[in-house]
Amino acid sequence: MALTEVKSLAQALSQEFNSANPNLDKCGQLLSQLKIALIELQYLTHEDKHNNVEELTVARDVLEIGAQWSVRKKDIPSFERYMAQLQTYYNDYSNLPPSPIKYNLIGLNLLCLLSQNRISDFHTALETIEPSQLHSNPVIQYPIKLEQSLMEGSYNRVWSSRSDVPSKEYLFFIDILMDTIRNEIASCSEKAYTSLPLKDAGTLLFFTNMEDILNFAKERKWKVNPVEQKAYFHSDADEKIGIPADQIIKQTMFYARDMDRII
Amino acid sequence: MAEAPRRSSRLNKNQGEDTKGKDKSTDQDVEMSDTTEATTADSGTVKVLGAKELEALVIADIKQHFVLFAKSAKTHEARFAVRVLRSLSSLRKRLTAQVLAKVIVNSYTKGDESQKRLLEYLGPDALPAGAAEEETTSYKVETPEVDVYLHLLVMIYLLDQGQLEKGIALSSATVKTVQELNRRSLDQLAAKVYFYYARFYELSGRLAEIRPVLLNAQRTATLRRDDDTQSTLINLLLRNYFHYNLYDQADKLVSKTTFPENATNNQLARYMYYLGRIKAIQLEYTESHQSLMQAVRKAPQNNVTAGFQQEANKLLIIVQLLMGEIPERSLFRQPVLRKALQPYFQITQAVRVGDLNKFQETLAANSNTFLADKNYTLILRLRHNVIKTGIRMISLSYSRISLRDVCLKLHLDSEEDAEYIVAKAIRDGVIDATLDHEKGFMRSKENVDIYSTNEPQHAFHQRIAFCLKLHNDSVKAMRFPLKAVNIDAAEVEAARDQERTLVQEIAEADEDMDDGHDDL
Repeated sequence: MALTEVKSLAQALSQEFNSANPNLDKCGQLLSQLKIALIELQYLTHEDKHNNVEELTVARDVLEIGAQWSVRKKDIPSFERYMAQLQTYYNDYSNLPPSPIKYNLIGLNLLCLLSQNRISDFHTALETIEPSQLHSNPVIQYPIKLEQSLMEGSYNRVWSSRSDVPSKEYLFFIDILMDTIRNEIASCSEKAYTSLPLKDAGTLLFFTNMEDILNFAKERKWKVNPVEQKAYFHSDADEKIGIPADQIIKQTMFYARDMDRII
Repeated sequence: MAEAPRRSSRLNKNQGEDTKGKDKSTDQDVEMSDTTEATTADSGTVKVLGAKELEALVIADIKQHFVLFAKSAKTHEARFAVRVLRSLSSLRKRLTAQVLAKVIVNSYTKGDESQKRLLEYLGPDALPAGAAEEETTSYKVETPEVDVYLHLLVMIYLLDQGQLEKGIALSSATVKTVQELNRRSLDQLAAKVYFYYARFYELSGRLAEIRPVLLNAQRTATLRRDDDTQSTLINLLLRNYFHYNLYDQADKLVSKTTFPENATNNQLARYMYYLGRIKAIQLEYTESHQSLMQAVRKAPQNNVTAGFQQEANKLLIIVQLLMGEIPERSLFRQPVLRKALQPYFQITQAVRVGDLNKFQETLAANSNTFLADKNYTLILRLRHNVIKTGIRMISLSYSRISLRDVCLKLHLDSEEDAEYIVAKAIRDGVIDATLDHEKGFMRSKENVDIYSTNEPQHAFHQRIAFCLKLHNDSVKAMRFPLKAVNIDAAEVEAARDQERTLVQEIAEADEDMDDGHDDL
């Protein structure tokens, strides 16, 4: 397929995707068609394509739409694939005209990593962003602030940040993030309290009705006392420490053998 | 920082060996006399000598190096070549275009292509007319080692002169030659060649271009078990990735390669520093701390390596803080480090007190320094460590405290926030305490007696194992010279036998240990 055909296809895709009420299935079809076409143009092997700005730009734009489309389809693995492919375009081709939604997508990617609790990947991704953008760009600042609050444990602030998301695509990941947080809070509570009244547990975990709380308690295997309306957490304090005889014997034998050799 | 570890304290070492050589004047071999010469040239005598004699001395040195390279190639002993490369740093200061031109003219047979090429790189002024025919009985280039060595000297000269374009052309050509030659005796030289090759490209800001070349060379070096080139290339690649903040790729490189055990200390120190940085970014602070400690310890402690020491210590301080430890005060007082570490000292103070406001102030005041050091994002992570330290201090000083007071002491937004933060601190093992939600307070637990656990035994084992390993390693590293004076052949043979059995025994024991670990 020639470049002009790919271009017209890409145009059709961006028109459909940017329309008021896009047909996501149709976009998906167009995307897979485009991907095949791009492979025929050898967009995966860029050995000597450094200067073919036109082709590279089309490929990048298609991938960007693909990433956004995946978010709307709520398909995280697909989103990550698109982002991985886009990394090359963002990092290695400085000769391309800058993309208007680059930072938006990077921000989304950060949030995606955060929502899956992949903190170390999050920080690695953070290092690749230029410092000037790091401080001024609101789409990047948002996930960074979230991560800080998460690390501190100010879950309240994370919860309230839901209201001021920079773009509606972020909401999808925020919702996942909320579940992650809930589990975090639960695991903290298990260690920090010996028991907790169910009602208070509800407020801590941002639940509004009793049923949700009970279901959640069942999931985490908390012991609920219905009379007191309290949840009890299993403590690991009464674990006994035995003598690791096996290990000690092995270590002593090892010492003996080495000492023998030295003398 | 780039060059610092490599241009290490060889001078001091040479001097040490020099005195040793004089003490045992009975058994003095070639390299001993070589170092004597090098050091005398370095020390006071230099000032007395005129320019002409000085030139002659340098030329004599380079000639001596040629002999050593030939010997190294003949005997398959890398140490002669290593010895030459060690003296490079002292030679480097004395290199001039004239000296190089003379050596080149005299070393090649007339009309040789390399000769012409090298002279071109040096420029037309280098060679005074008629100087070429001065010596006729000089050493001729017989081995490729000498050829590559001359190329290397010209490269170093170009680097010192800041002639980057020429340097790039010459180094690229040399890299090609080295790759085609495939001689084991070239390994040490090849490593140096790659180093300067990358340096030229880095200074011209074209690092990304040479990545494929380096990766290919790295693969070849690994296949040939060429430890020197391999270690140099891994470090060059890591530096390359770091330059563009591609930590993901750097991490993948590290996980897919093994750093050669026999690498020199300088290379190891750099590798450890890079490793420490990767691990720090991935939040694996304990591992990062270990690597950085090694980097700091392995790096030679002198003024030449000040840059590396500063960088490594900066990172080490941050990682220590992130781990919840406070670096020792004496670290900041060292003369080499004091000035560079000043901003980091202020940050440390803020973390130690657990004062959030002070932390933010210091951060704002020094943000440009931190950005330049590429440590800014790491320092941003310290924010919650400040809070943690605060909580720990409260937990230590109060057996029971209301959440309201915690909130006030730490300048937090609300009591709810305080509750979450304390709960998280408990889960992360920062403090040992429980919360009472209904009455709204935090109760600290009594300190556990550490001697009632298995912890001391574990620590004890670690230390014994370390000592034993040290002993075994030193036995393995011992050398038994063949031509030792006053020992007859039989005794030497016996000694070697003994050494061999010892090494074998240790190897077997290691295998046994591995098996043993599998059982555990």
